[in-house]
Amino acid sequence: MALNRRSFLGASAAATGALSAPYVLAEGSGKPRVLVIGGGAGGATAARYIAKDSDGAIDVTLVEPSRTYFSCFFSNLYLGGLKTIDDIGHTYGTLAANHGINVVHDWAVGVDGAAKTVTLAGGAVLPYDKLILAPGIDFVEGSVPGWDVSAQNKMPHAYKAGSQSELLKAQIAAMPEGGTYAMVAPPNPYRCPPGPYERVSMVAHVLKASNPTAKILIADPKPKFSKMALFEEGWTNHYPGMIDWIGEDFGGGVVSVDPDRMVLTIDGEETKVDACNVIPAMKAGRIAELAGVSEGNWAPVNAADMSSKADPDIYVLGDASQQGDMPKSGFSANSQAKVCANAVRGALTGSRVFPAKFANTCWSLIAENDGVKVGATYEPTEEKIARVDGFISQTGETIDIRKATFEESESWYDAITADMFS
Amino acid sequence: MFRRGLVIIAVAVALPLPMAFAEELPPEILAIKGDVAWGEYLSGECVTCHSAQGAEGGIPRIAGRDTEDIVVAMHAYKQNRRVHPIMQMLAGRLSAEEIAALAAYFNTLD
Repeated sequence: MALNRRSFLGASAAATGALSAPYVLAEGSGKPRVLVIGGGAGGATAARYIAKDSDGAIDVTLVEPSRTYFSCFFSNLYLGGLKTIDDIGHTYGTLAANHGINVVHDWAVGVDGAAKTVTLAGGAVLPYDKLILAPGIDFVEGSVPGWDVSAQNKMPHAYKAGSQSELLKAQIAAMPEGGTYAMVAPPNPYRCPPGPYERVSMVAHVLKASNPTAKILIADPKPKFSKMALFEEGWTNHYPGMIDWIGEDFGGGVVSVDPDRMVLTIDGEETKVDACNVIPAMKAGRIAELAGVSEGNWAPVNAADMSSKADPDIYVLGDASQQGDMPKSGFSANSQAKVCANAVRGALTGSRVFPAKFANTCWSLIAENDGVKVGATYEPTEEKIARVDGFISQTGETIDIRKATFEESESWYDAITADMFS
Repeated sequence: MFRRGLVIIAVAVALPLPMAFAEELPPEILAIKGDVAWGEYLSGECVTCHSAQGAEGGIPRIAGRDTEDIVVAMHAYKQNRRVHPIMQMLAGRLSAEEIAALAAYFNTLD
Protein backbone atom coordinates (compact mmCIF):
# COMPACT_ATOMS: atom_id res chain seq x y z
CA MET A 1 0.00 0.00 0.00
CA ALA A 2 2.73 2.42 1.06
CA LEU A 3 4.81 1.32 -1.87
CA ASN A 4 1.91 1.79 -4.25
CA ARG A 5 1.14 5.16 -2.85
CA ARG A 6 4.79 6.20 -3.12
CA SER A 7 4.94 4.91 -6.71
CA PHE A 8 1.82 6.88 -7.53
CA LEU A 9 3.19 10.05 -5.96
CA GLY A 10 6.44 9.58 -7.83
CA ALA A 11 4.66 9.29 -11.15
CA SER A 12 2.49 12.24 -10.29
CA ALA A 13 5.48 14.39 -9.38
CA ALA A 14 7.13 13.51 -12.68
CA ALA A 15 3.97 14.44 -14.56
CA THR A 16 3.66 17.71 -12.67
CA GLY A 17 7.29 18.36 -13.42
CA ALA A 18 6.45 18.32 -17.09
CA LEU A 19 4.12 21.23 -16.56
CA SER A 20 6.26 23.40 -14.33
CA ALA A 21 9.75 24.86 -14.42
CA PRO A 22 12.27 23.82 -15.33
CA TYR A 23 11.83 21.14 -17.91
CA VAL A 24 12.98 20.30 -21.38
CA LEU A 25 10.58 19.89 -24.28
CA ALA A 26 11.02 17.79 -27.41
CA GLU A 27 13.86 15.82 -25.87
CA GLY A 28 14.80 12.71 -27.72
CA SER A 29 12.85 13.20 -30.93
CA GLY A 30 16.18 12.80 -32.72
CA LYS A 31 15.41 15.53 -35.21
CA PRO A 32 17.34 18.79 -35.29
CA ARG A 33 15.52 21.53 -33.43
CA VAL A 34 15.01 25.10 -34.56
CA LEU A 35 13.58 27.57 -32.10
CA VAL A 36 12.23 30.87 -33.40
CA ILE A 37 11.53 33.73 -31.00
CA GLY A 38 9.06 36.28 -32.37
CA GLY A 39 6.22 35.71 -34.83
CA GLY A 40 6.39 38.77 -37.05
CA ALA A 41 7.60 39.23 -40.61
CA GLY A 42 11.02 37.75 -39.80
CA GLY A 43 10.14 35.00 -37.33
CA ALA A 44 6.90 33.70 -38.86
CA THR A 45 8.48 33.60 -42.32
CA ALA A 46 11.60 31.80 -41.08
CA ALA A 47 9.58 29.24 -39.12
CA ARG A 48 7.24 28.63 -42.05
CA TYR A 49 10.00 28.20 -44.66
CA ILE A 50 12.12 25.91 -42.48
CA ALA A 51 9.14 23.70 -41.63
CA LYS A 52 7.65 23.74 -45.14
CA ASP A 53 10.89 23.10 -47.01
CA SER A 54 12.36 20.52 -44.62
CA ASP A 55 9.20 18.44 -44.90
CA GLY A 56 9.22 17.24 -41.30
CA ALA A 57 12.98 16.69 -41.04
CA ILE A 58 13.35 19.59 -38.58
CA ASP A 59 11.34 20.26 -35.40
CA VAL A 60 10.31 23.92 -35.52
CA THR A 61 9.00 25.75 -32.46
CA LEU A 62 7.78 29.34 -32.69
CA VAL A 63 7.55 31.35 -29.45
CA GLU A 64 5.33 34.41 -29.70
CA PRO A 65 3.45 36.02 -26.80
CA SER A 66 0.54 37.39 -28.86
CA ARG A 67 -2.21 35.12 -30.11
CA THR A 68 -3.08 37.64 -32.81
CA TYR A 69 -0.41 39.45 -34.79
CA PHE A 70 -1.39 42.96 -35.88
CA SER A 71 0.91 44.05 -38.68
CA CYS A 72 2.66 47.36 -38.23
CA PHE A 73 2.58 47.66 -42.00
CA PHE A 74 -0.88 48.96 -43.01
CA SER A 75 -1.63 49.97 -39.38
CA ASN A 76 -1.46 53.58 -40.60
CA LEU A 77 -4.20 52.74 -43.10
CA TYR A 78 -6.25 51.55 -40.14
CA LEU A 79 -5.68 54.96 -38.49
CA GLY A 80 -6.76 56.56 -41.78
CA GLY A 81 -10.04 54.61 -41.78
CA LEU A 82 -9.08 52.67 -44.92
CA LYS A 83 -8.60 49.31 -43.17
CA THR A 84 -10.28 47.72 -40.15
CA ILE A 85 -8.34 46.33 -37.20
CA ASP A 86 -9.41 42.86 -38.35
CA ASP A 87 -7.87 43.51 -41.77
CA ILE A 88 -4.43 43.77 -40.16
CA GLY A 89 -4.88 40.93 -37.63
CA HIS A 90 -3.45 37.44 -38.28
CA THR A 91 -3.35 34.25 -36.21
CA TYR A 92 -0.91 31.33 -36.02
CA GLY A 93 -3.21 28.32 -36.32
CA THR A 94 -2.38 27.63 -39.96
CA LEU A 95 1.35 27.46 -39.25
CA ALA A 96 0.64 24.64 -36.81
CA ALA A 97 -1.95 22.90 -38.97
CA ASN A 98 -0.24 23.14 -42.37
CA HIS A 99 3.39 22.90 -41.40
CA GLY A 100 3.50 21.18 -38.00
CA ILE A 101 5.09 24.17 -36.31
CA ASN A 102 4.84 24.02 -32.51
CA VAL A 103 3.45 27.46 -31.69
CA VAL A 104 4.00 28.46 -28.05
CA HIS A 105 2.33 31.65 -26.81
CA ASP A 106 4.75 32.80 -24.15
CA TRP A 107 7.61 35.25 -23.59
CA ALA A 108 11.22 34.17 -23.97
CA VAL A 109 13.05 35.54 -20.94
CA GLY A 110 16.48 33.97 -21.09
CA VAL A 111 18.97 32.34 -23.46
CA ASP A 112 21.80 30.03 -22.39
CA GLY A 113 24.09 29.96 -25.41
CA ALA A 114 26.42 27.36 -23.87
CA ALA A 115 23.64 24.92 -22.96
CA LYS A 116 21.67 25.95 -26.09
CA THR A 117 18.41 26.45 -24.25
CA VAL A 118 15.81 29.22 -24.01
CA THR A 119 13.77 29.84 -20.87
CA LEU A 120 10.18 31.03 -21.17
CA ALA A 121 8.29 33.23 -18.71
CA GLY A 122 6.02 30.28 -17.95
CA GLY A 123 9.05 28.30 -16.76
CA ALA A 124 9.66 25.95 -19.69
CA VAL A 125 13.22 25.46 -20.90
CA LEU A 126 13.39 24.75 -24.63
CA PRO A 127 16.49 23.22 -26.21
CA TYR A 128 17.66 24.19 -29.68
CA ASP A 129 20.25 23.34 -32.28
CA LYS A 130 19.70 26.66 -34.03
CA LEU A 131 18.03 29.68 -32.46
CA ILE A 132 16.46 32.43 -34.55
CA LEU A 133 15.72 35.71 -32.78
CA ALA A 134 13.19 37.98 -34.46
CA PRO A 135 11.94 40.06 -31.53
CA GLY A 136 11.34 43.34 -33.36
CA ILE A 137 11.91 46.53 -31.42
CA ASP A 138 11.77 47.87 -27.91
CA PHE A 139 12.05 51.52 -26.90
CA VAL A 140 15.12 53.26 -25.50
CA GLU A 141 14.27 54.43 -21.99
CA GLY A 142 14.56 58.16 -21.44
CA SER A 143 14.88 59.04 -25.13
CA VAL A 144 11.88 61.40 -24.89
CA PRO A 145 12.09 63.17 -21.47
CA GLY A 146 8.79 62.88 -19.61
CA TRP A 147 7.68 59.74 -21.46
CA ASP A 148 7.95 56.11 -20.47
CA VAL A 149 5.76 53.09 -21.13
CA SER A 150 3.58 53.95 -18.13
CA ALA A 151 2.51 57.03 -20.13
CA GLN A 152 1.69 55.07 -23.29
CA ASN A 153 -2.06 55.27 -22.75
CA LYS A 154 -2.00 59.07 -22.53
CA MET A 155 0.56 59.46 -25.29
CA PRO A 156 0.51 56.27 -27.39
CA HIS A 157 3.47 55.16 -29.49
CA ALA A 158 1.29 52.93 -31.69
CA TYR A 159 4.55 51.58 -33.10
CA LYS A 160 3.70 48.04 -32.11
CA ALA A 161 0.32 47.64 -33.76
CA GLY A 162 -2.83 46.46 -31.99
CA SER A 163 -4.35 48.02 -28.88
CA GLN A 164 -2.00 51.00 -29.16
CA SER A 165 -3.26 51.66 -32.69
CA GLU A 166 -6.87 51.46 -31.50
CA LEU A 167 -6.12 53.87 -28.68
CA LEU A 168 -4.48 56.44 -30.94
CA LYS A 169 -7.35 56.22 -33.42
CA ALA A 170 -9.85 56.86 -30.62
CA GLN A 171 -7.84 59.86 -29.41
CA ILE A 172 -7.78 61.35 -32.92
CA ALA A 173 -11.56 60.93 -33.14
CA ALA A 174 -12.00 62.65 -29.74
CA MET A 175 -9.96 65.75 -30.63
CA PRO A 176 -11.87 69.02 -30.20
CA GLU A 177 -12.66 71.08 -33.27
CA GLY A 178 -9.52 72.89 -34.40
CA GLY A 179 -7.39 70.87 -31.93
CA THR A 180 -3.75 69.86 -32.27
CA TYR A 181 -2.35 66.41 -33.03
CA ALA A 182 1.34 66.17 -32.25
CA MET A 183 3.92 63.56 -33.17
CA VAL A 184 7.35 63.14 -31.65
CA ALA A 185 9.24 61.41 -34.48
CA PRO A 186 12.09 58.99 -33.73
CA PRO A 187 15.82 59.35 -34.44
CA ASN A 188 17.54 56.98 -36.90
CA PRO A 189 17.69 54.05 -37.11
CA TYR A 190 14.13 52.93 -36.47
CA ARG A 191 11.42 50.58 -37.74
CA CYS A 192 9.83 51.60 -41.06
CA PRO A 193 11.58 54.83 -42.11
CA PRO A 194 8.56 56.32 -43.97
CA GLY A 195 6.14 55.09 -41.26
CA PRO A 196 5.82 58.26 -39.16
CA TYR A 197 5.18 60.36 -42.26
CA GLU A 198 2.65 57.98 -43.74
CA ARG A 199 0.99 58.10 -40.34
CA VAL A 200 0.82 61.89 -40.41
CA SER A 201 -0.69 61.63 -43.91
CA MET A 202 -3.36 59.22 -42.72
CA VAL A 203 -4.16 61.31 -39.64
CA ALA A 204 -4.50 64.34 -41.94
CA HIS A 205 -6.76 62.30 -44.22
CA VAL A 206 -9.10 61.61 -41.29
CA LEU A 207 -8.98 65.15 -39.90
CA LYS A 208 -9.57 66.75 -43.30
CA ALA A 209 -12.99 65.09 -43.33
CA SER A 210 -13.92 65.17 -39.65
CA ASN A 211 -12.07 68.16 -38.20
CA PRO A 212 -10.73 70.30 -41.05
CA THR A 213 -9.43 73.16 -38.88
CA ALA A 214 -7.29 70.81 -36.78
CA LYS A 215 -3.50 71.12 -36.91
CA ILE A 216 -0.72 68.54 -37.01
CA LEU A 217 2.63 69.30 -35.41
CA ILE A 218 5.68 67.05 -35.93
CA ALA A 219 8.76 67.43 -33.74
CA ASP A 220 11.56 65.61 -35.52
CA PRO A 221 15.17 65.10 -34.36
CA LYS A 222 16.23 64.49 -37.99
CA PRO A 223 17.17 67.11 -40.62
CA LYS A 224 15.37 65.09 -43.34
CA PHE A 225 13.30 61.94 -43.66
CA SER A 226 12.41 59.07 -45.99
CA LYS A 227 10.50 60.06 -49.17
CA MET A 228 10.57 63.66 -47.88
CA ALA A 229 9.98 65.37 -51.24
CA LEU A 230 7.07 63.03 -51.99
CA PHE A 231 5.42 63.57 -48.62
CA GLU A 232 5.90 67.33 -48.67
CA GLU A 233 4.41 67.56 -52.16
CA GLY A 234 1.47 65.40 -51.07
CA TRP A 235 0.87 67.38 -47.89
CA THR A 236 0.81 70.65 -49.85
CA ASN A 237 -1.61 69.20 -52.40
CA HIS A 238 -3.97 67.28 -50.12
CA TYR A 239 -3.72 69.00 -46.73
CA PRO A 240 -2.64 72.64 -47.32
CA GLY A 241 -1.82 74.52 -44.11
CA MET A 242 -2.56 71.59 -41.82
CA ILE A 243 0.89 70.05 -41.19
CA ASP A 244 3.81 71.80 -39.50
CA TRP A 245 7.07 69.81 -39.55
CA ILE A 246 9.76 71.06 -37.16
CA GLY A 247 13.05 69.41 -38.03
CA GLU A 248 16.40 69.31 -36.31
CA ASP A 249 17.37 72.80 -37.54
CA PHE A 250 14.45 74.38 -35.64
CA GLY A 251 14.82 72.47 -32.39
CA GLY A 252 12.69 69.46 -33.35
CA GLY A 253 15.10 67.21 -31.47
CA VAL A 254 15.00 69.20 -28.24
CA VAL A 255 11.69 67.94 -26.90
CA SER A 256 10.03 66.84 -23.70
CA VAL A 257 6.47 65.86 -22.88
CA ASP A 258 4.18 66.13 -19.89
CA PRO A 259 1.54 63.43 -20.38
CA ASP A 260 -0.58 64.56 -17.40
CA ARG A 261 -0.93 68.12 -18.74
CA MET A 262 -0.89 67.02 -22.40
CA VAL A 263 1.95 69.40 -23.12
CA LEU A 264 4.70 69.05 -25.71
CA THR A 265 7.74 71.29 -25.27
CA ILE A 266 9.86 71.94 -28.37
CA ASP A 267 13.11 73.84 -27.86
CA GLY A 268 11.73 75.43 -24.66
CA GLU A 269 8.35 76.41 -26.11
CA GLU A 270 5.27 74.70 -24.60
CA THR A 271 2.34 73.65 -26.77
CA LYS A 272 -0.92 72.25 -25.40
CA VAL A 273 -1.89 69.26 -27.53
CA ASP A 274 -5.05 67.17 -27.82
CA ALA A 275 -3.52 63.93 -29.09
CA CYS A 276 0.15 63.12 -28.85
CA ASN A 277 1.88 60.23 -30.60
CA VAL A 278 5.30 59.72 -29.02
CA ILE A 279 7.56 57.43 -31.07
CA PRO A 280 10.70 57.01 -28.94
CA ALA A 281 14.17 55.94 -30.05
CA MET A 282 14.35 52.20 -30.67
CA LYS A 283 16.56 49.23 -29.95
CA ALA A 284 16.44 45.48 -30.57
CA GLY A 285 13.78 43.55 -28.66
CA ARG A 286 15.08 42.71 -25.19
CA ILE A 287 15.76 39.01 -25.80
CA ALA A 288 18.64 39.97 -28.13
CA GLU A 289 20.35 41.67 -25.22
CA LEU A 290 19.56 38.77 -22.86
CA ALA A 291 21.05 36.36 -25.39
CA GLY A 292 24.26 38.37 -25.37
CA VAL A 293 24.15 39.06 -29.10
CA SER A 294 23.54 42.83 -28.91
CA GLU A 295 26.21 45.44 -29.26
CA GLY A 296 24.78 48.80 -28.26
CA ASN A 297 21.16 48.98 -29.38
CA TRP A 298 21.21 46.31 -32.11
CA ALA A 299 22.49 42.80 -32.83
CA PRO A 300 25.28 42.61 -35.44
CA VAL A 301 24.92 39.77 -37.95
CA ASN A 302 26.86 38.18 -40.80
CA ALA A 303 25.37 39.25 -44.12
CA ALA A 304 25.56 35.86 -45.84
CA ASP A 305 23.14 34.06 -43.51
CA MET A 306 21.99 36.47 -40.75
CA SER A 307 23.97 34.54 -38.09
CA SER A 308 24.97 36.56 -35.05
CA LYS A 309 28.54 37.80 -34.94
CA ALA A 310 28.59 36.75 -31.27
CA ASP A 311 27.26 33.17 -31.56
CA PRO A 312 27.21 31.02 -34.74
CA ASP A 313 24.13 29.06 -33.60
CA ILE A 314 22.00 32.18 -33.07
CA TYR A 315 20.53 34.14 -35.98
CA VAL A 316 18.91 37.58 -35.74
CA LEU A 317 16.32 38.78 -38.25
CA GLY A 318 14.55 41.99 -39.10
CA ASP A 319 14.39 45.16 -37.04
CA ALA A 320 16.56 43.79 -34.22
CA SER A 321 19.52 43.01 -36.48
CA GLN A 322 22.33 45.32 -37.42
CA GLN A 323 23.03 44.12 -40.93
CA GLY A 324 24.10 47.09 -43.02
CA ASP A 325 22.11 48.97 -45.64
CA MET A 326 18.61 47.45 -45.49
CA PRO A 327 15.92 49.58 -43.84
CA LYS A 328 14.11 48.09 -40.86
CA SER A 329 10.88 46.94 -42.50
CA GLY A 330 8.57 43.95 -42.65
CA PHE A 331 9.63 43.40 -46.26
CA SER A 332 13.33 43.37 -45.26
CA ALA A 333 12.66 40.96 -42.39
CA ASN A 334 10.74 38.62 -44.71
CA SER A 335 13.58 38.76 -47.24
CA GLN A 336 16.24 38.09 -44.59
CA ALA A 337 14.15 35.23 -43.15
CA LYS A 338 14.23 33.28 -46.42
CA VAL A 339 18.01 33.61 -46.71
CA CYS A 340 18.36 32.50 -43.08
CA ALA A 341 15.92 29.59 -43.50
CA ASN A 342 17.88 28.28 -46.47
CA ALA A 343 21.17 28.49 -44.52
CA VAL A 344 19.74 26.90 -41.36
CA ARG A 345 18.22 24.00 -43.29
CA GLY A 346 21.51 23.49 -45.06
CA ALA A 347 23.43 23.42 -41.78
CA LEU A 348 21.03 20.97 -40.11
CA THR A 349 20.06 18.62 -42.95
CA GLY A 350 22.68 19.12 -45.65
CA SER A 351 20.13 20.58 -48.09
CA ARG A 352 21.41 22.84 -50.89
CA VAL A 353 22.41 26.32 -49.82
CA PHE A 354 22.06 29.06 -52.43
CA PRO A 355 23.73 32.48 -52.45
CA ALA A 356 21.92 35.15 -50.44
CA LYS A 357 19.88 37.78 -52.28
CA PHE A 358 17.94 40.47 -50.47
CA ALA A 359 15.34 43.02 -51.54
CA ASN A 360 13.05 45.59 -50.00
CA THR A 361 10.16 47.77 -51.12
CA CYS A 362 8.29 50.19 -48.87
CA TRP A 363 4.95 51.55 -50.06
CA SER A 364 3.38 54.56 -48.36
CA LEU A 365 -0.04 56.07 -48.76
CA ILE A 366 -0.26 59.88 -48.75
CA ALA A 367 -4.01 60.15 -49.42
CA GLU A 368 -6.66 57.79 -50.75
CA ASN A 369 -5.27 56.23 -53.96
CA ASP A 370 -2.10 58.34 -53.75
CA GLY A 371 0.54 55.68 -53.16
CA VAL A 372 4.32 56.03 -53.45
CA LYS A 373 7.14 53.51 -53.10
CA VAL A 374 10.86 53.17 -52.59
CA GLY A 375 12.87 50.01 -53.01
CA ALA A 376 16.29 48.49 -53.44
CA THR A 377 18.18 45.24 -53.94
CA TYR A 378 21.01 44.13 -51.69
CA GLU A 379 23.76 41.52 -51.56
CA PRO A 380 26.04 40.24 -48.81
CA THR A 381 29.63 41.41 -48.53
CA GLU A 382 32.20 40.46 -45.89
CA GLU A 383 31.31 43.56 -43.96
CA LYS A 384 27.53 44.01 -44.33
CA ILE A 385 24.39 43.69 -46.45
CA ALA A 386 25.21 46.22 -49.15
CA ARG A 387 22.83 48.09 -51.42
CA VAL A 388 23.10 47.23 -55.12
CA ASP A 389 20.41 49.16 -56.97
CA GLY A 390 17.23 51.06 -56.16
CA PHE A 391 14.36 53.26 -57.24
CA ILE A 392 11.91 55.76 -55.77
CA SER A 393 8.58 57.21 -56.94
CA GLN A 394 8.86 60.61 -58.57
CA THR A 395 7.19 63.86 -57.57
CA GLY A 396 4.55 65.00 -60.05
CA GLU A 397 3.45 61.50 -61.06
CA THR A 398 -0.03 61.09 -62.56
CA ILE A 399 -2.97 60.04 -60.40
CA ASP A 400 -3.16 56.84 -62.45
CA ILE A 401 0.40 55.88 -61.51
CA ARG A 402 -0.27 56.70 -57.85
CA LYS A 403 -3.47 54.65 -57.85
CA ALA A 404 -1.67 51.71 -59.48
CA THR A 405 1.06 52.00 -56.82
CA PHE A 406 -1.55 51.83 -54.06
CA GLU A 407 -3.23 48.81 -55.66
CA GLU A 408 0.18 47.18 -55.87
CA SER A 409 0.67 47.73 -52.13
CA GLU A 410 -2.64 46.01 -51.41
CA SER A 411 -1.57 42.97 -53.46
CA TRP A 412 1.76 42.97 -51.65
CA TYR A 413 0.01 43.01 -48.27
CA ASP A 414 -2.04 39.94 -49.16
CA ALA A 415 1.02 38.16 -50.54
CA ILE A 416 3.43 38.87 -47.69
CA THR A 417 0.93 37.97 -44.99
CA ALA A 418 0.22 34.70 -46.84
CA ASP A 419 3.98 34.17 -47.06
CA MET A 420 4.15 34.53 -43.26
CA PHE A 421 1.02 32.73 -42.08
CA SER A 422 -0.49 30.41 -44.72
CA MET B 1 -11.60 52.58 -90.76
CA PHE B 2 -10.69 55.45 -88.47
CA ARG B 3 -12.23 53.59 -85.58
CA ARG B 4 -10.25 50.47 -86.30
CA GLY B 5 -7.05 52.50 -86.50
CA LEU B 6 -7.72 53.91 -83.03
CA VAL B 7 -8.36 50.49 -81.59
CA ILE B 8 -5.11 49.15 -83.02
CA ILE B 9 -3.15 52.04 -81.55
CA ALA B 10 -4.78 51.52 -78.19
CA VAL B 11 -3.90 47.84 -78.21
CA ALA B 12 -0.32 48.57 -79.21
CA VAL B 13 0.08 51.02 -76.34
CA ALA B 14 -1.55 48.72 -73.82
CA LEU B 15 0.60 45.75 -74.76
CA PRO B 16 3.44 45.65 -72.30
CA LEU B 17 5.87 44.10 -74.72
CA PRO B 18 6.60 44.25 -78.46
CA MET B 19 5.65 40.88 -79.89
CA ALA B 20 8.97 40.79 -81.68
CA PHE B 21 10.89 40.75 -78.41
CA ALA B 22 10.50 37.00 -77.96
CA GLU B 23 12.11 36.51 -81.37
CA GLU B 24 14.97 38.85 -80.46
CA LEU B 25 16.00 36.65 -77.56
CA PRO B 26 18.87 34.36 -78.58
CA PRO B 27 17.62 30.75 -78.90
CA GLU B 28 20.30 29.57 -76.46
CA ILE B 29 18.66 31.67 -73.73
CA LEU B 30 15.29 30.08 -74.38
CA ALA B 31 16.96 26.67 -74.45
CA ILE B 32 18.44 26.87 -70.93
CA LYS B 33 16.96 24.11 -68.79
CA GLY B 34 16.04 25.64 -65.47
CA ASP B 35 17.16 24.18 -62.13
CA VAL B 36 13.82 23.80 -60.31
CA ALA B 37 15.29 23.66 -56.78
CA TRP B 38 17.29 26.82 -57.35
CA GLY B 39 14.17 28.41 -58.81
CA GLU B 40 12.19 27.48 -55.72
CA TYR B 41 14.75 29.26 -53.55
CA LEU B 42 14.84 32.31 -55.81
CA SER B 43 11.03 32.42 -55.89
CA GLY B 44 11.12 33.57 -52.26
CA GLU B 45 11.80 37.01 -53.65
CA CYS B 46 8.76 36.85 -55.96
CA VAL B 47 6.13 35.52 -53.58
CA THR B 48 6.51 38.42 -51.16
CA CYS B 49 4.38 40.32 -53.70
CA HIS B 50 2.96 37.75 -56.15
CA SER B 51 0.41 35.71 -54.22
CA ALA B 52 -0.70 32.25 -55.30
CA GLN B 53 -4.05 33.72 -56.36
CA GLY B 54 -2.87 36.97 -57.94
CA ALA B 55 -4.95 40.12 -57.64
CA GLU B 56 -7.32 41.83 -60.01
CA GLY B 57 -5.94 45.26 -60.83
CA GLY B 58 -2.92 44.62 -58.63
CA ILE B 59 0.08 42.30 -58.82
CA PRO B 60 -0.59 39.35 -61.16
CA ARG B 61 -0.24 35.63 -60.51
CA ILE B 62 2.91 33.91 -61.79
CA ALA B 63 2.28 30.36 -60.55
CA GLY B 64 1.49 27.98 -63.39
CA ARG B 65 2.52 30.38 -66.16
CA ASP B 66 4.17 28.99 -69.26
CA THR B 67 7.94 28.72 -68.84
CA GLU B 68 8.80 30.61 -72.02
CA ASP B 69 6.37 33.44 -71.20
CA ILE B 70 8.14 33.99 -67.88
CA VAL B 71 11.59 33.86 -69.46
CA VAL B 72 10.59 36.35 -72.17
CA ALA B 73 8.92 38.71 -69.68
CA MET B 74 11.87 38.67 -67.28
CA HIS B 75 14.41 39.33 -70.03
CA ALA B 76 12.24 42.19 -71.26
CA TYR B 77 12.40 43.74 -67.77
CA LYS B 78 16.11 42.99 -67.53
CA GLN B 79 16.74 44.86 -70.78
CA ASN B 80 14.38 47.71 -69.79
CA ARG B 81 12.12 46.87 -72.73
CA ARG B 82 9.22 46.40 -70.37
CA VAL B 83 8.64 49.11 -67.80
CA HIS B 84 8.09 48.60 -64.09
CA PRO B 85 10.61 49.99 -61.58
CA ILE B 86 10.52 47.04 -59.17
CA MET B 87 10.55 44.37 -61.87
CA GLN B 88 13.33 46.10 -63.82
CA MET B 89 15.40 46.31 -60.65
CA LEU B 90 14.83 42.66 -59.64
CA ALA B 91 15.24 41.18 -63.14
CA GLY B 92 18.29 43.36 -63.71
CA ARG B 93 20.39 41.36 -61.28
CA LEU B 94 19.20 37.90 -62.32
CA SER B 95 21.39 35.84 -64.66
CA ALA B 96 19.88 33.96 -67.60
CA GLU B 97 20.33 30.76 -65.58
CA GLU B 98 18.47 32.24 -62.62
CA ILE B 99 15.62 33.40 -64.85
CA ALA B 100 15.40 29.93 -66.39
CA ALA B 101 15.37 28.39 -62.89
CA LEU B 102 12.55 30.67 -61.75
CA ALA B 103 10.49 30.00 -64.86
CA ALA B 104 10.97 26.25 -64.51
CA TYR B 105 9.87 26.36 -60.87
CA PHE B 106 6.78 28.51 -61.39
CA ASN B 107 5.74 26.27 -64.26
CA THR B 108 5.64 23.31 -61.85
CA LEU B 109 2.98 25.01 -59.71
CA ASP B 110 -0.73 24.60 -60.35
